[in-house]
Amino acid sequence: MATYDWLFSTLGLKEWCGQNKDSGPLSMADLLAKSKGEDAESQSLWDLPFPSMDALNESCEAFPQSRDLTKGLEQGFLAVKDSLSLVLDPLTQPLSWFLDGSLYVMLNTPWWIVIPVMLAVVFLVSKSWKLVTFVAFSIGLLAFIDYYEYAMQTLAIIFVCAFLCVLIGVPIGIAMARSDWLQRGTIPVLDMLQTLPPFVYLIPLIFLFSVTESKLYGIAIILYAIVPVVRLTDLGIRLVDKEVIEAADAFGMTPRQKLFKVQIPLALPNIMAGVNQTIMMSLAMVVIASLVSAPGLGVLVLRGIRNLELGVGLVSGLGIVLLAVILDRVTKASLARVNSAQKQ
Amino acid sequence: MRKLTYSAILCALTIPSVASADCGEVSITEMNWASNTVVTSVAKFIMEQGYGCDVTVVPSDTVPAVTSVAENGEPDIVTELWKNSAGEAYERLEAAGKIKPLTKVLRPGGIEGWWIPTYLAEKHPELTTIEGIMANPELVGGRFNNCPDGWGCRVANDNLVRALDLEASGIDVFNHGSGETLASSMASAVQKQEPWFGYYWGPTVPLGKFDMTRVKLGEYKAEVHAKNQSPDADNPKVSEFPAATVLTTVTPDFEDREPEVAEMLAQLSFETETMSSLLAWMDANNATAEEAAVYYLSNYGDEWSSWLNDDARKRLSRLLGN
Repeated sequence: MATYDWLFSTLGLKEWCGQNKDSGPLSMADLLAKSKGEDAESQSLWDLPFPSMDALNESCEAFPQSRDLTKGLEQGFLAVKDSLSLVLDPLTQPLSWFLDGSLYVMLNTPWWIVIPVMLAVVFLVSKSWKLVTFVAFSIGLLAFIDYYEYAMQTLAIIFVCAFLCVLIGVPIGIAMARSDWLQRGTIPVLDMLQTLPPFVYLIPLIFLFSVTESKLYGIAIILYAIVPVVRLTDLGIRLVDKEVIEAADAFGMTPRQKLFKVQIPLALPNIMAGVNQTIMMSLAMVVIASLVSAPGLGVLVLRGIRNLELGVGLVSGLGIVLLAVILDRVTKASLARVNSAQKQ
Repeated sequence: MRKLTYSAILCALTIPSVASADCGEVSITEMNWASNTVVTSVAKFIMEQGYGCDVTVVPSDTVPAVTSVAENGEPDIVTELWKNSAGEAYERLEAAGKIKPLTKVLRPGGIEGWWIPTYLAEKHPELTTIEGIMANPELVGGRFNNCPDGWGCRVANDNLVRALDLEASGIDVFNHGSGETLASSMASAVQKQEPWFGYYWGPTVPLGKFDMTRVKLGEYKAEVHAKNQSPDADNPKVSEFPAATVLTTVTPDFEDREPEVAEMLAQLSFETETMSSLLAWMDANNATAEEAAVYYLSNYGDEWSSWLNDDARKRLSRLLGN
């Protein structure tokens, strides 16, 4: 006798319940009760089960158990999976090419070309010798302890993913700023992407794409890291002064001119702050992405955890921190330059 | 309803009686794979219901568990310890007397090796040997699915790959990031009836669920295999994987404290075949590993009743049906 028998008998569903006598596997609680020789009838109100699917199933075998729900979801997903990947696979294929290409270039160019080029880029965006020295020292340190290759793999992945985030995210942000309707639709999606634990969306990704392809971790990183750049682009454009827009209207600017000559330049500090956050978040995701075979420092962190190789874990963690500091400082420096240029 | 409420209050006031026996607190590991959950759940049930222990289950993994035993002498019981994944750390602990092997919890032991799906082996029988695969790399998709970094099998596989010069024959070695992607690459290949070639081990749910054929690597040579266990071994050679030793181990302190429970644990061991069938049952019924343990306890009474002492057998008599 189970707790909710009365419910089904009052509803007159007894017959429907008895249709298929297919009770699920015995649970540990059932076994404990059996070994103690207790009956379910001695139940007190304390032990009253919530009328959940499993509890109702005990009273009525035709009622689905919660495992049937998960099973159903799984089967539903597997059923649409093929048609879904038919569309998504070619669409995301360029991501694999970008990632493989960038990893190939980074790893097959000798260090004495890669490091100077990187330093030159740092100087171009920051115009600060202090920062260039710091970056040179950090990368030199990583290379000195033989972590150059891992660090470059991580950087290559971040460059590609952050670049694509900006490429996709900024237009989305602009579109959101121009249409309230689109903003209302997009914000819940962004909220969801930001609050979902990254592992949760790795699961459907593993099923959708071949795990041996690099786009799998590329998509995971982009989904996680794209949020700030979209949000801050939207915010930045919406924060442009009404008066400035009015002035632009008074000059007879077309919407297109207004966007490129007024709104985007004025929103640039916010957009740059978004880019900075996006880069930081893709770096955070790199370790988790190593679980789906992303190369780089994340692999070493995982190895450190799995084998409790404390040294490896610490050094690779420190390497990630160094990369984070470099990327943060460089983007902040260019942000500061954008800001000061606007004040003049 | 009112009557029910009164009796409920009465029941709530009485403290649930604790099974009285002379066994104290026991901690046991639960590793993150299905067969281990079955072993741990069965052991926990017997220790609690048969011996009256207060069992704490510690979710863990091989290396962390061994390290914890080395550093803190806890948990008391490490079960389903794959000796080759624990590596040297375990050997040192055993030599130092900090851990004691009780029994092989799986008989004859775990299976590990390189596998292809059976449908592929039936279509191209030549692929059941490594020479056949290396001669026709395109038939297995040109890819070897390797273990993730940090796993014991990764070291052995890397040495084997170098010994065979697998990459020269046109087979890419893909290093998976985690066991989950390794399993799902196999699952998705089998579901699409595509070629797949890689490392796996059993008894596990994927090997129980999918029909796989083992690729012959040649003979098992103990010396070569031992040498392949160290990273970047000089001049590695090829050897088949032996049946892996899978142990239940306890701390000496625990054995002194609870000799009767330790005696039972020394008996607690599963046939590899039985474990495989339990895992297959689990998959077929969409059940959890704990339910698989319940299934075992309720259907294999003859097997596990022989592990118990008389007192425990009496306490569990209702379940054993005598």
